[in-house]
Amino acid sequence: MVKFAFLDYFWLVLYLILMTGAGVLFYNLGKRSEADFFLAGRSLPWWLPAMSVYATHTATDTPMWVSGVIYKHGFRGLWYTFFSAWCAIAAFVSARIFRRSVAYSQAEWQSLRYSGLGSELLRGWMAGWGFFLNMFILGWVGMAMGKLCNYLFGWENWVGLVFFSSITAVYVLSAGYWGVVMADFQQGIIAFLVIVIASLWGVREAGGPYGIVQKLYELGESWRLNPFHFTGFFSGDFPVAWFITMIIIAVLGGFGMGTSIDWYAEAQRIQSAKTVRDASYSIWWGTALTLMRNAIWAVAIIAFFVMNPFLTDVKEYEMAWFRIAFEHLPAGMTGFLFAGVVAIHISTISTHLNLGSIYLTRDIYHHYVKPDASQKELVWMGRIATLFLLIGSFIYGSMMEEITKWLIFALWIMGAGMWLPNILQVVWWRFNSWGYLSAWIANLGFSWLVVWILPTFGVIPELPDYLQFWILMFLTALVYIPVTLLTEPEDMEHLVKYYVMTRPIGWWKPVEEEARKRGLIK
Amino acid sequence: MAFIRRNWTPEEANKWTREDVIAIIVSPFAYAFLMIGVALSLLLFLWGFVFLIIGIILTGVMHWVIDPKLKAVSSEYEKKQREYIENLEKIVSWRE
Repeated sequence: MVKFAFLDYFWLVLYLILMTGAGVLFYNLGKRSEADFFLAGRSLPWWLPAMSVYATHTATDTPMWVSGVIYKHGFRGLWYTFFSAWCAIAAFVSARIFRRSVAYSQAEWQSLRYSGLGSELLRGWMAGWGFFLNMFILGWVGMAMGKLCNYLFGWENWVGLVFFSSITAVYVLSAGYWGVVMADFQQGIIAFLVIVIASLWGVREAGGPYGIVQKLYELGESWRLNPFHFTGFFSGDFPVAWFITMIIIAVLGGFGMGTSIDWYAEAQRIQSAKTVRDASYSIWWGTALTLMRNAIWAVAIIAFFVMNPFLTDVKEYEMAWFRIAFEHLPAGMTGFLFAGVVAIHISTISTHLNLGSIYLTRDIYHHYVKPDASQKELVWMGRIATLFLLIGSFIYGSMMEEITKWLIFALWIMGAGMWLPNILQVVWWRFNSWGYLSAWIANLGFSWLVVWILPTFGVIPELPDYLQFWILMFLTALVYIPVTLLTEPEDMEHLVKYYVMTRPIGWWKPVEEEARKRGLIK
Repeated sequence: MAFIRRNWTPEEANKWTREDVIAIIVSPFAYAFLMIGVALSLLLFLWGFVFLIIGIILTGVMHWVIDPKLKAVSSEYEKKQREYIENLEKIVSWRE
């Protein structure tokens, strides 16, 4: 349990006022139109969405997860966090293509890339799935805050979940994405400062840089300082095969859209940037900051290791960064640290409240329910959708223990067999909506079989995750490639429009030639 | 013609070229060197500082190569964006 002094309360109250103030300040901008409520009018310079990318991907559960992998693996665990490097290529490929499509969401992009019934089916499916995925993330992250407040103050888990998410909703409901991105900017700065100060303090407490290295050698654990300490090509808990798979998934995934779950939040930031250039730099720099933050955390967790070596309980060492921060910072700084944790938390909650409501407002209500809705109605619909998400997240959060493993499975199936189709839909003109839909369905079935059913009945052994990835990718391709080739290509008129607008990379020659023939490009 | 082009017409910049390929290749390495460089240099390893400097140089090179092209793409696209957004609103409202 942590006790707050006057100065601690001061930091916390000051920050909460600053944060909700952002919502009030930008209320008039957020209510102007649907484009303002969800994309800040596509008018932002790159550094604002960049900070939002960083702030959003710094959630309450992120230091727990990073602590877990670094405590277990040392610096080589940094490669687990390198999945966000998909932005290395995405910044210059998919961000450019997506920004030029002017789609509000990934679901809307599907209807620009594909045509006819298949495109509508995909848009509806992606919108529904996106809405519930955001609700799940809100519940998950909200419950992480509930657990942290339980650890710090002894509150019931639901108190931290409901209290901080509700405060966030005040400015998201008021100002929409304007409130989100402006608050993210200050939250990102506060969170980064807190992470640097608390981590360096931890290093100091552990004996400083030289002291840490020396203690690691004395413990016989110096391998933890080597980011490339592999356990074999296929064997051990850090094989080269896993590393190669992870690098391929992360880096080459940048050619596609949706190859990482983070794409959907980034897509909103890309679209809110005022130019293609701003869109590219926003996700590049936001991710660069995220990766450097992981490195700073990693050093603090190594410091925690030398002070608390050989812990075996995951629940204990997953709290490494929080423990190093709350147990070692001097009185008066605890409130500053907690304000930073609140910043970390709220920036993620606000993003997913606003992002999830896009799908319900733009892709369902505006597209299917009331196509002639006024801008005022659409902004109000955005607010109602935000409220739905908030309440849904409380329900999800309270059920989390039971449903987590099911939902993680749902995320996994989305990642494995869908990785290649998510790239193909960007780079190959012939890939069509039926191919993409069949990939979703096939992947669902194969994932059940390969990950759960067959190992449970002893038909195949339980496979390492990197092997599951390759098998699922191959099996799913056996379905969607024939389906694509046996069904009609997308309507050429539609493809030409899409091509001229977005200028995609890859195999688009027939469409390019048609566009040139029509005099639409030189 | 120079190996790296610094002046672009909007139409030329719309094509995928060598400059894009260079940015795509350099960018993941920049990330990796920055991440590992920060971690190791905070523990005062010499290699950490070397990696960090390499990461910074790669980042600079990447921007130098791709920035003129991104500027040209952006300026050309901004002119057409209004028309594209109008089309998008027609699609979302079933007016097409």
